[in-house]
Amino acid sequence: MFFCLKFYVSLGLIVLFTVPLCAQEKFEKESRMKEQDVPTKAVQFIDSLPIKCNVKWYLEEGLKGNSVEAKFKWHKKKYSIEFDTLGVIEDVEIEIREKKIPSGLMNSISTQLENDCLKYDIEKIQIQYQGSHNLLLKQLNSEEVISGISVSYELIVRCKSTENICLFEYVFGDTGAVTSTSKIIFKNSSHLEY
Amino acid sequence: MSIKRRHRFYVGFFLVFSGNVLSQQTYQVGLLPSVNFNYKLKNDWSLNSKLESRQLLQRGLWNDSVLENYSYVLTDLSLLAAKKVGLNGKLAGGYLVRLENGEVIHRIIQQYTAVQRKSGYRLAHRFLADQTISSIERPIFRLRYRFTAEIPLNGESVDVKEFYLKFNNEYVNSVQTGQYDLEIRLIPLLGYGINDRHKIELGLDYRVNSLFDNQTRQSFWTTLNWFVEL
Repeated sequence: MFFCLKFYVSLGLIVLFTVPLCAQEKFEKESRMKEQDVPTKAVQFIDSLPIKCNVKWYLEEGLKGNSVEAKFKWHKKKYSIEFDTLGVIEDVEIEIREKKIPSGLMNSISTQLENDCLKYDIEKIQIQYQGSHNLLLKQLNSEEVISGISVSYELIVRCKSTENICLFEYVFGDTGAVTSTSKIIFKNSSHLEY
Repeated sequence: MSIKRRHRFYVGFFLVFSGNVLSQQTYQVGLLPSVNFNYKLKNDWSLNSKLESRQLLQRGLWNDSVLENYSYVLTDLSLLAAKKVGLNGKLAGGYLVRLENGEVIHRIIQQYTAVQRKSGYRLAHRFLADQTISSIERPIFRLRYRFTAEIPLNGESVDVKEFYLKFNNEYVNSVQTGQYDLEIRLIPLLGYGINDRHKIELGLDYRVNSLFDNQTRQSFWTTLNWFVEL
């Protein structure tokens, strides 16, 4: 009984004095949006596509600002279309398989990854299209890349170095040059482990 | 499985469990609050310390008399050191001390956990072995497997100031003086990320054990977990 009472008194005291320290902020946050809260322009863009499946809307809050994202499956592929907060389209990302990347480009990507990692494994590839509203709309209905569209490839790579194994996001241009690399930091998982 | 074999399986299953239904099953209801501290060290090492208390609110026989009302049961305090292995795995080992009825019980723990990150949810697998030693009981050796699913209630991952659902399912195999027992645990929880360093979870910890010896006991613990990143 004494232990029990002591446990709760300690717990209560810790809660009382820890709450004011909790008022911190996080830099990136993704939350679901209802369609009625999505900018009209973005909804109109999605409605103009012959998609029959359910579209999920997300608000992404980040250091560089906020954006609105539509995610859906179409033609057995995963699509992600990003808009700014006014509903102006920013880019289209489609998950693809490695064999869909032109062999010359894939060789350049492999060379880069072999330089950076002792051993690597590509976990996910997305082709990224950027361009005007009308061009992106046309691109979504085309198998070939339309003139005026900028293409890049976003890869999630498991990279083993001499010290550890980490997950990286690489962005390659259509010539195979790296345009950005960032280390993916996992969210805390101690509540799943203990 | 042929129809004949399937028939035998169902008959066997019925006999095993109907025996339990007809016998004197017991239940217990109580509280299981815990606070869990995690501290990151250099070179992928980390420490975990957990303080857990167990209090019984009522114990009795199903459809019969109440055997016991409120009593304080025990306090557990553990310390584990963990090392990240690979991208998703963690190896950990440590020691737990249990204070129960004025006795001190010692437990040595070894565990491996792997967390899988999926689109829209996370899964964790925990393989754990422990050895319990005390002056009042014969040693207990256990092998446990726990499966955990975390589902965010907003967006594709759990962010600060967001709720999530967590579901644990654990199978605890134990051997004491040559006698085997299986305990099954089902733990549905509702969690909330207060900030990057604090999470709280509230739910039910349901346990059923002694499945094979007609002494089946079911336990219902109200769980309150508090996770702190130091």
